[in-house]
Amino acid sequence: MDYNIDYKEFYDTFPSGYFCSLPNGTIIDSNKIFLKLTNYSREEVIGKKKFTDFLSLGEKIYFENVFAPALKLSGTIEEVNFNFTKKEGTRFPVLVNSVEIKDLSGKQLYTHSIVFNIAQRKKYEQELLKSKKNANELSNKLTTVNKELRNHTKLISKQKLQLEEFNQHLENKNKQLSNFAHIASHNLRAPVSNLTILKDLYKENTDAKDKAMLFSKVEMVIDRLNETLNELIDSIKIQGNKDVVHDAVIFDTVFAKTLEILDIQILDSKAVVTSNFCEAPNIAYPKLYMESILLNLLSNSIRYRAPDRVAQIHFRTEIINNEILLIATDNGLGIDLKKYGHKLFGLNNTFHRHPDSKGVGLFMTKAQIEAVGGSITIESEVDKGTTFKIILKKKNND
Amino acid sequence: MLETLIKQNNVTILGNSSKVMFFVHGYGCDQNMWRFITPHFKDTYKIVLIDLVGCGKSDENAYDYDKYNSLEGHADDIITICDALNLEDVCMVAHSVSAMIVALAAVKRPALFKKLIMIGPSPRYINDVAYFGGFSEKDIEELLETLDSNYLGWSSAMAPVIMDNLDRPELAAELETSFCQNNPEIASHFAKVTFLADNRNDLKKLATDTLIIQSKKDAIASLEVGQFVHKNIENSKLVVLESTGHCPHMSAPNKTIEAMKNYLL
Repeated sequence: MDYNIDYKEFYDTFPSGYFCSLPNGTIIDSNKIFLKLTNYSREEVIGKKKFTDFLSLGEKIYFENVFAPALKLSGTIEEVNFNFTKKEGTRFPVLVNSVEIKDLSGKQLYTHSIVFNIAQRKKYEQELLKSKKNANELSNKLTTVNKELRNHTKLISKQKLQLEEFNQHLENKNKQLSNFAHIASHNLRAPVSNLTILKDLYKENTDAKDKAMLFSKVEMVIDRLNETLNELIDSIKIQGNKDVVHDAVIFDTVFAKTLEILDIQILDSKAVVTSNFCEAPNIAYPKLYMESILLNLLSNSIRYRAPDRVAQIHFRTEIINNEILLIATDNGLGIDLKKYGHKLFGLNNTFHRHPDSKGVGLFMTKAQIEAVGGSITIESEVDKGTTFKIILKKKNND
Repeated sequence: MLETLIKQNNVTILGNSSKVMFFVHGYGCDQNMWRFITPHFKDTYKIVLIDLVGCGKSDENAYDYDKYNSLEGHADDIITICDALNLEDVCMVAHSVSAMIVALAAVKRPALFKKLIMIGPSPRYINDVAYFGGFSEKDIEELLETLDSNYLGWSSAMAPVIMDNLDRPELAAELETSFCQNNPEIASHFAKVTFLADNRNDLKKLATDTLIIQSKKDAIASLEVGQFVHKNIENSKLVVLESTGHCPHMSAPNKTIEAMKNYLL
């Protein structure tokens, strides 16, 4: 079949607006559809109107700054949305495709543009834009809420940690209290029953000399009882006192004071006590605790010295993994760790059938060390000696 | 530092001359717009081209909305680039809004710059009492709407390319060839900063030798605005080209080159 297409007719009737413009924008030809879309007569447009005459001022900025440079650089531009102004001033949305036509030397001759009326589609598009805007706003809101939630979660887990810590603290306290109650009852039962017996004897006895002797015994038991009570109270005080004040402690100074206190015991026992605190000469630490720790360890070593050899006791400091260690070594009786290791630091556990054993010292020492965030370990062999290693605290915390 | 800077502003350097010509594009496009001009200067000048942050192939992630909330932010970038490249006695060529950006840079660091060539400058687009800028705030709103409606396809298709162009090479290729396409959110912000700016007072502080190239018919920066700029920059010269449009360096490159060469003689 042979179709004779009338290109002139085609030009005027093909289903979109068309115009041709010079490099300066002046329109030199257009089809009838374009004229119909804009309501102008051919005479009013050809040679008189420019592309930009159909645009608003705001659109002209876009045309000059984006449309024209992009067309110049790529030779073609597609699907740009403008609102063309009709003769009577009303505007309608269009999509424009433009292509630049050049001669062989590359010189621009003119620009072909086609114009699609998109009035219906535009309404739909505006709805889409609106929805998109709403969605964006919603998404921003969600992001904000999310952020808040995350912050809340952080806060809650922080509070949870604090609660857990507090709980742990309470649990410890509980344990200590029940321990204390247990030991207290034990510790007090013996002297009290002792007292009862002494009281009965005192009552029954008629001899004044015997009575005086019994009364002095009562006095002694009361003194011991008092001492035990005070020590128990002290130990509880330490455990409750978490926020201790740290002083600048010089080991040599505190140790000298300890030696002074134990002067008589050292003389009596003929123990050789030496020290070397060169590696860590000082530490920020509660001074009272340090005094008490040194006193307890040294008096322990003297007390549990081996009767058949000269007691040698040595105190020193070391720095291991940024932690300051206090190390006390003796060549005394030693402790059977297999047998007693698990209850070594319990209150009132004594491991020696020794007249002076009271079983408060190590318990208190451990409580003091842990109150400052440190720890204590023991190495011992029966009849060879004992070494206490105390991690006082992290060096960084000085 | 230099590498970051080169990526940030997509810095291109051509040639080896000791004299430097530094080009800054205007609103809506990128350094591609200088391609008709640079070949005529590349033998006598070292050519430096940049994309303002947020435009062209600059590092979009570097677009700090606070920093670039005034033209000052871009001016500081130009100073930083000049310092990093050890540029001196620079001849700046700037189009449209960038004319004000380089003016700000030259006021801040006059020693860096030898000459400024402004193409289609405007210190203020909005009309004011006894001042004709050509536009009202309503017109700028309309521009923003036009920007919005022409980024419909862009945001969803191009955004992933900007973020990660490894996955979809076909989109990357499209971006490669698409000129004057910018992230819509940034383009909208930059449009506000550009077209609502008022730099009239800065012109008087500018002491650098300046050439103003003005299209006879420019819908964005009219002849009247060009004359205002000329009157307010002390050491300035105004050349009016027989050309139409806001980008004579693209629509009438030969006339533009001639005006530049005459001035630089």
